[in-house]
Amino acid sequence: MTALFSYDGFRRGARDGVPLAVSIFAYGVGFGLVAAQAGFGVGKAVATSAAIYSGSAQLAAVNLLQTGEATLWALFATILVINARYLLFGAALQPWLWQAGPLRAYGSLLLLGDANWLMTMRRIREGEEDRAYLAGTGTPITLGWLAGTALGAGAVSILPRPEALGFDLMLACFAAGMMTAMVKVRADLLPVVVGAGTALLVAHLFGPAPAIIAAGLAGAAVAALVHREAV
Amino acid sequence: MTQSFPVLLAVMAAAAFLCRVAGFTLMRFVPVSPRVEAALRATPLAVMAGITALAVQAGGLAEGLALASVVALTLLLRSDVAAALLGVVVVAGLRWAGV
Repeated sequence: MTALFSYDGFRRGARDGVPLAVSIFAYGVGFGLVAAQAGFGVGKAVATSAAIYSGSAQLAAVNLLQTGEATLWALFATILVINARYLLFGAALQPWLWQAGPLRAYGSLLLLGDANWLMTMRRIREGEEDRAYLAGTGTPITLGWLAGTALGAGAVSILPRPEALGFDLMLACFAAGMMTAMVKVRADLLPVVVGAGTALLVAHLFGPAPAIIAAGLAGAAVAALVHREAV
Repeated sequence: MTQSFPVLLAVMAAAAFLCRVAGFTLMRFVPVSPRVEAALRATPLAVMAGITALAVQAGGLAEGLALASVVALTLLLRSDVAAALLGVVVVAGLRWAGV
């Protein structure tokens, strides 16, 4: 028995993904600009965006390659550390997504990013049953990411910096909005406070890379600790 | 660094792919008790709060005001997407004004 996986759900996801894709497009332009300055052409920049599909990991990788002393192991480890939060994202999606069957589940994971994970987790909580929703949200985002990369790498000399238009704050704005919309009962404030506090503390002690995964783990741990079986 | 670009790309793609599927795959062997479910439900809230807090800390007054206005606008408009897009307008406006 596999769960619902329909074109309808895919379309619903794609529609919700479009506003996210706008911000990812701008972020893609940002990565394209950096890649072009590191000597990547349009083809190489777009290939990197397609293969890794994670802005923060790609920026770190390009920085490392620019030093000229990067080993394959250093590259591998850098991406593993920066993308470690995806371990958490995948684990949180698993009980819902696995019901679609392995092929559809793993296929959908290829399109998993920060923004559509947040969006999908929110919809699951509201009762989304169609497992094609995740791939739907991922599709416009992927297109925006690749198009943005190509534009940034190709037109490096004539573009305004995305920061001037506020696009660098887009993911944080979506996070703040979705977080507010997801807080339904008083108990939901606990992971919010724990997550924010942990992120700030870990960023202060160890830098921003491990801060997000630490926030997620701490929020999950506290929620599990205070959970009481329904009476 | 002597490797060719396709080799570099393959190594980077493998690391990124591993992160995408490993947590998902491991979770298949964890029985989902109500306690685990509570943890998984709390995870996105904690992550979003973390992202927001780091953005406020890394930014300044403009970023803090913009994110605070996103929270207020989400409650007011009952649409998180509209509030997020307006938040970007707010931060662009504040930066333009020199805040």
